[in-house]
Amino acid sequence: MEGDTIIEVKDLSVNFYTNLRCNKALRNVSFNLKKGRILGFVGESGCGKSVTANSIMRLLPELSRIENGSITFNSDKGPIRIDKLPKNGSEIRKLRGSDIAMIFQDPMTALNPVFTVGYQLNEMLLTHTDMSKKEATKKSIELLADMGVPAPEERFYEYPHEYSGGMRQRAMIAMAMACEPKVLLADEPTTALDVTIQAQIFELMLKLRDEKQMAMMLITHDMGVIAEMADDVVVMYMGNVVESGDAVEVLTNPIHPYTKALLDSIPVLGRGKNQKLEPIKGSTPDPFDRPKGCQFAPRCDYATQICLEEMPKEVLFNKDHKVCCFRCKEFNNGK
Amino acid sequence: MRKKSLSKKMDTLLYKENKGLLKSSNKSRVLRKILANKLAVVGAIIFILMVILCYGAPLFTDYSPTAIDLRNRLVPPNSTHILGTDKIGHDMWARILYGGRISIFIGFGSAVGAALIGVSLGTYAGYRGGMLDSVVMKFSEIMMSFPQIILVSIIVAITGQSLWNLIFIFILTGWPGMYRMARSQMLSIREEEYIQALQAFGIKKSIIAFKHMLPNAIGPIFVNITLSTAMFILQESSLSFLGLGVPMEVATWGNIINVAQDLTILREALWVWLPAGIVITVFVMAINFIGDGLRDAADPTQVG
Amino acid sequence: MLNYILRKLLGLIPMTLIISFMMFVGIELMPGDAVDYLIPPDALSTVSAEELDAMRLELGLKDPFLVRYGNWLVDLVHGDFGYSIQSGVPVKDLLAKTIPATLELSIAALIFSTIFGSFLGVISALHKGSIGDNTLTVFGMVGVAIPQFLFGLIMILLFVFKLNWLPVGGRMFPGNTQFYQRLNHLILPAVTLGLSMAAGVMRYSRSSLLDSLNKDYIKTARSKGLSEWRVNLIHGLRVAMTPVVVLVGFRLPMLIGGSVVIEQVFQWPGVGQLFVKSIRSQNTPVFMMIAFFDVIVVLLSSILVDVVTALLDPRVKLS
Repeated sequence: MEGDTIIEVKDLSVNFYTNLRCNKALRNVSFNLKKGRILGFVGESGCGKSVTANSIMRLLPELSRIENGSITFNSDKGPIRIDKLPKNGSEIRKLRGSDIAMIFQDPMTALNPVFTVGYQLNEMLLTHTDMSKKEATKKSIELLADMGVPAPEERFYEYPHEYSGGMRQRAMIAMAMACEPKVLLADEPTTALDVTIQAQIFELMLKLRDEKQMAMMLITHDMGVIAEMADDVVVMYMGNVVESGDAVEVLTNPIHPYTKALLDSIPVLGRGKNQKLEPIKGSTPDPFDRPKGCQFAPRCDYATQICLEEMPKEVLFNKDHKVCCFRCKEFNNGK
Repeated sequence: MRKKSLSKKMDTLLYKENKGLLKSSNKSRVLRKILANKLAVVGAIIFILMVILCYGAPLFTDYSPTAIDLRNRLVPPNSTHILGTDKIGHDMWARILYGGRISIFIGFGSAVGAALIGVSLGTYAGYRGGMLDSVVMKFSEIMMSFPQIILVSIIVAITGQSLWNLIFIFILTGWPGMYRMARSQMLSIREEEYIQALQAFGIKKSIIAFKHMLPNAIGPIFVNITLSTAMFILQESSLSFLGLGVPMEVATWGNIINVAQDLTILREALWVWLPAGIVITVFVMAINFIGDGLRDAADPTQVG
Repeated sequence: MLNYILRKLLGLIPMTLIISFMMFVGIELMPGDAVDYLIPPDALSTVSAEELDAMRLELGLKDPFLVRYGNWLVDLVHGDFGYSIQSGVPVKDLLAKTIPATLELSIAALIFSTIFGSFLGVISALHKGSIGDNTLTVFGMVGVAIPQFLFGLIMILLFVFKLNWLPVGGRMFPGNTQFYQRLNHLILPAVTLGLSMAAGVMRYSRSSLLDSLNKDYIKTARSKGLSEWRVNLIHGLRVAMTPVVVLVGFRLPMLIGGSVVIEQVFQWPGVGQLFVKSIRSQNTPVFMMIAFFDVIVVLLSSILVDVVTALLDPRVKLS
């Protein structure tokens, strides 16, 4: 059913242990992925969006660990605690590709250069279904056609470097969709593409959402993409969720100072060349030397003493609109 | 089992981080990186020790490498001769120490010589391009297609065997490799924007090449010099072993092992040839450690 | 592809001409000539200068340089490889006897080192940081540092003298021409040559595989739910293979030329030994033919490396 939660993430915390230091990359991240809805994740580079998606797929690098929290996948057979599964074990491998699929930012490096696109597509089908190679080839060609790749019968036998950027991403999406997954995680799928191609890819994704009732997680650093594509949105900063809720609601009524600042820093078409752009003052802190308390406090115009000392808890506003800020009630009342 | 120990290491790091114990390391990041590459440090220490031992040989032995003592032939290691003596009474310890001077000099000198020629040519020709570049490229291709052993044999037969001739030969066979490496570095740096800016300022090509581009390529060049030194030492020892290298009167590490072709010596008098062989191996290993360490340090993508 | 090969083969010709010319020049520059080495020193006093001169004339050594080079080329094209000045035996026969010996040794060492070295390198990479990996790394570092001849001497000491398992040198006992009978002679030199090469192959394949496993497409492969062995060996290794193959390709000429040392240590009657003898006695015909074939092997192997790289990596375009 649309609106059913298919992946529930609660209080997820992830640490990275590289360079002999400990980087607390994610702190208490919570959100729900729902069927037939696109959940947009937005935030600056390094805020933890990709880490979140990788955690769901258990694709985190070796020197990292899920410290606490839970990731629950509501499959046909009941809820599965993904965070408890062994890292590359057979259970998670069954889920990957067939129930939860992921597409990545740069399709050129994400596809193996020495195998044909068709081979890599077939791999997906042959691993998760009982199809023979012939059947898989036929299905792969169909998939390529569905995703809008021209001349799929020839393209099937070509290598990734012989495709254009947009086609490569389409092929990646075809690969991800091959086994009709219930969830699609898209990590900045159009950042490496031209804007016109971007529009086509998004059209494709919307079609998939509507036709297959897929749950989608769309990671981006572009507010415009959120505005266009997301049904719900999560705003992240330095590993924390600062605001989340219905996309229209959050964009028109931002409460967290960071969300507001993000929206203010975007040039608006139509306001002319003299419009004032307000960059966010300061810069993101060193991940190894994080501020105590609210991560945004050092840059926040409204920070108070408690903001600098303690981490704010999530506060629920109307319906789904949640904010992590000590002063959010005041801001809302100020509207 | 490894997963458990990994988990424990992470717990320790987490604990330390929470206590704020790890913060100050940031300033000595470079030092930390160098020290973290323990092998390179070990290599450097061994290298320095051996250089000191060889070039300060009179301090470490009373014997001369050429002094014959026919009364003490093929004596196994004892209190007067630390490594024993060979067939005509040479003290082996002295031969190894003094021989080391020659071997190290040949190895390092050839590497530096080849680098000087190869890098200068590579920098200028590579940057300049055009006719000069094609000619030198073609020439280096010919030199590289020349089977090494053949080139060496011919030149040794022409010029006779001597220390300097050997260095000359090594430089002759070594420069094409350095040239190509320097050239490929130049080709990639040439496309960088700051080079184009310098050109726009009208600065002379040779100055751009040597003053601005070369310092940026220096990392791989140094790595190459260290690895070439190791290669040349190995080659010298092979040639000397065959009798085609430094003439037998002058002790080098390779020369010393030459006598092992006599099966009696091989079997019965290990002290005569084995120590020199071990010395070569250890020295080359030390150089390789240093070279690997330099390569890791110069590569910014390497994370601890 | 075929075009490329043909073009490159044609390009070989000017290269070989230039190099063979340079070698001929080199021999020219060497002091003395073949006649000097034909007469043993003590007998030299009994031979008059005129007789030496007559010998030179007969051997064609008095002809001008270019004429001699030209003659050599013409003969070569006609398949006449000349005669050894020392023994009068046709060079072709000498080569026919020695090349198989060297090939046997080289191919055995090549196969051994490639398979053994890559296998160990892959295992090392997949178990990075384990005790096994660290041990192999140490062995690898020793293996590339130890001079080949030293390793050979140590092997001989160990297996021939201390353990008495294997014969001391040469290719076979007289009369034992069957392969399985000669095997005990082949083992030691082949393993020596093979092991010392394997060290380099192991280190290189390890770092190549680690590089490959760091790439994005490995993550994609995992995200498809593929099994670990498929991710590592099919996706990771396949890409990592190319640089290793290039390395082995560049080692090919070394096997012909580098075997000089091993053949000396093990008294293996191959081309290497023949070459050393011919240099020492200024035996031009023999020397030139060996050098010539050596050059051809070098040039051919570089073409081979290009072709194999293009076959393995679809991104490579042969220009």
